[in-house]
Amino acid sequence: MLDEILHILVAAIIAWILFVTVDIFFKLPEAGGVSGASAIARDIEVGGGALAGGTMMGNIVCSPDASAGTLLAACGVYVAGIPGGLAAALMVFIGNRICHDPGYAGTTGAVLATFIIYGFTQIGFAATDFIAGMVIAILTIQGLSHAHASRLLARLWRIRQ
Amino acid sequence: MIALYLVAVIAVFAVIRATIEKNTGRKLPYVNVMNFAIAGALVMLLDHPLSLVAAAAYFVGSTLEANAIASTYAGGVRRE
Repeated sequence: MLDEILHILVAAIIAWILFVTVDIFFKLPEAGGVSGASAIARDIEVGGGALAGGTMMGNIVCSPDASAGTLLAACGVYVAGIPGGLAAALMVFIGNRICHDPGYAGTTGAVLATFIIYGFTQIGFAATDFIAGMVIAILTIQGLSHAHASRLLARLWRIRQ
Repeated sequence: MIALYLVAVIAVFAVIRATIEKNTGRKLPYVNVMNFAIAGALVMLLDHPLSLVAAAAYFVGSTLEANAIASTYAGGVRRE
């Protein structure tokens, strides 16, 4: 039981680093992909947050990004191994097009996550550890403190620039 | 097993935060956390290969809804 909790925590850290890196690489904090993402960013800024971080959070809400890719890849690996993860990546790609997202952060994140998660399942981790880990990772960004999360993302975005 | 319960608890937590938050723009990220949790829980609850398709369909659908709500909240598309 303690093992599973430890695995979930490690998976959460890996998932967090993976999706934040891919999203920032694909410049999600730069501009809102749709007007709704910019509106969310403005509200987060009014609430004491940073605009660039809020923009990335708005983009996460409005289209499947690398975090969604990581979650669905973990689900895919759980159901059917690497082919399942790649099927999830295809569905994220279709989801991006449905949501008018011109980017490839979601698809890239899903493909990368598929191989990383499969690798970890070979050394004793379960794919479910990564499903729960990714939910914890998104909770820390979108569900605890928007002001603090957006400022942290903005700081990482400045490093990228 | 712990993973499933953890995800369920996070979903309920996100729903409570979304309910308490009054500002629409800041409400949507909480709903987003709930969507992640529900999609993850779906796959763990349904022991069937198609559960992946169900989770992806739910997730993409709910993201599109959030997109629509946020864009309407922002003023919508202006038509000539």
